[in-house]
Amino acid sequence: MSLVNAASSIQSSELAKRWRAFYRRIEPALYISPAFIVLFVILIYPLGYSFWLSFHEWTLRGFRKGIPFIGFENYIDLFSNPEFLKSLRITFIFVIVAIAIEMILGMGIALLLDHDLKGKGFMRSIILIPMMCTNVVIGLTWRLLFNYEFGLVNYYLGRLGLGPVNWLSDTSVALPAVIIVDVWNTTSFVALLLLAGLQALPEEPYEAATIDGASSWQLFVYLTIPFLRPTILVVLLWRFIDTFRIFDVIYLLTAGGPARATETVSIYVYRNGFQFFNLGYASASSYIMIFFMLIIGAILARIIGRIEM
Amino acid sequence: MDRYYRKRGYNIKLVLIYGLILFSMLLSFGPIGYLLITSFKPPQLTFAIPPVWVFKPTLQNYRDVFAGGTFVKYFFNSLIIAGSTTLIALILGSFAGYGFARFQFRGNTVIRLSSLIPQMLPPITIIVPLYVLFNSMDLIDTRWALIISYLTFSIPLSIWMMTGFFADVPRELEESAMIDGCSRLGALMRVNLPIIAPGLAATAILSFIYCWNEFLYAVILTGRESRTLPVTITSFMTNKAILWGRIAASGSLVLIPVLIFALLAQRFLVRGLSRGAIKG
Repeated sequence: MSLVNAASSIQSSELAKRWRAFYRRIEPALYISPAFIVLFVILIYPLGYSFWLSFHEWTLRGFRKGIPFIGFENYIDLFSNPEFLKSLRITFIFVIVAIAIEMILGMGIALLLDHDLKGKGFMRSIILIPMMCTNVVIGLTWRLLFNYEFGLVNYYLGRLGLGPVNWLSDTSVALPAVIIVDVWNTTSFVALLLLAGLQALPEEPYEAATIDGASSWQLFVYLTIPFLRPTILVVLLWRFIDTFRIFDVIYLLTAGGPARATETVSIYVYRNGFQFFNLGYASASSYIMIFFMLIIGAILARIIGRIEM
Repeated sequence: MDRYYRKRGYNIKLVLIYGLILFSMLLSFGPIGYLLITSFKPPQLTFAIPPVWVFKPTLQNYRDVFAGGTFVKYFFNSLIIAGSTTLIALILGSFAGYGFARFQFRGNTVIRLSSLIPQMLPPITIIVPLYVLFNSMDLIDTRWALIISYLTFSIPLSIWMMTGFFADVPRELEESAMIDGCSRLGALMRVNLPIIAPGLAATAILSFIYCWNEFLYAVILTGRESRTLPVTITSFMTNKAILWGRIAASGSLVLIPVLIFALLAQRFLVRGLSRGAIKG
């Protein structure tokens, strides 16, 4: 009797132990998986369907008669289409130039704010404003500011004896104008994240280097930049994600014009999808966009991951 | 760090620093200030050149915006859509963030970074199939269409920020609660939640603002019924004319909650976004 009891209790404690071990293994999943399941359910159909579409011909004129499979034709068409290649080029110019300017200006503002200043919270709040603003409002406000006849930008340039510049309808100025708006919009984001990074820096290395007679510039290049590397990379990742997809600000400023001088890939896809209803073609260009996004995003994320581990 | 600069006599340049910061504050606020001022200008002064800065303010533009009553309806659409999305994302994101911050398991960093993939997808790339999908489910021009779409970016954002905030809470607090007989979930609710409340608020605010500001999904997936405010603003650009006065007034109205939130939570917003970078 007691022997049986003992045996079963050993067995059940064995079972309990196993259960606890199993539970410990899956416990993280219980917390993490709900969010991932929801994301998966929402995204799997759109991604799958547009992948399928990208190999088919779907046009408003033809779709009732059937959606023929055309293999890689959409992709081949895209890469031989100068308009698409131009929109890719414009997007990359936009991404590189805008982010470079934002990083430099943002670092400058972060270094300025990293002093013992009076009213720092207030300063930070004001500088934070542009990144929070509704893009539609930003686009329209700047459209007004950039107006050739009535805009404040040309008015004040005129006071300085410059201009007037046909900001939004001159093909050579429109892209820089759009970049200016993006820089205005997001430099504050870069600055505030870098500032947070600066404030988390350890003090000792600076003490030591100062004792050894390092100049401020040397402190910046040999200590601040290397210490800030993780923050810089994260900022780059976020900014790349955001800039590569840019749609609303440009759509409201120039709608991609003049003569497609500011037509980024997002706007190209939008025109094909919702103006020409060439859905197969739009899906193929979407997938090319996703491809670039994931490659560059993965490279940045990998570097970040390596630093953290 | 500041002291090391000061030792070098850097404080002589303090004036320059204040000057430059003031200049960037001016640039940051200038365009928004201009929009606010324009919204109170009588229509005939909107385009006055040289610009008129002193005038008798009028509420005419605001009255025009509210005329017809649809603006209020669209305001509530925006509020409900942004609010519901934020609530759902916050719950899911908090649990996931807690999981990433508290458990060491293989692939933690990889899985956490992969949660950013949905956020990386440019909205334009999934909107065509989403439109087709919602159309077949009769969800076009409903609030649900936008709530579901917005979850694709607000969940990753919540995971990212909440992971950082949970990582900041010392593990020992919760462990001692668990030794005292609290379950993990109980410890999460009773020990962690009060500590991360500011972080939770910051995440909620940021997610809310992103939804509140979103335009592309809204312009394609909504119509007369479930339209949100950013789309409403663009409706003042008619074929005949761009009604700048009304755009300025409605734009100001849309920005006000954003600005209030941003000012209230700025400290935590910055910390939350950067935490994921500084602390794994």
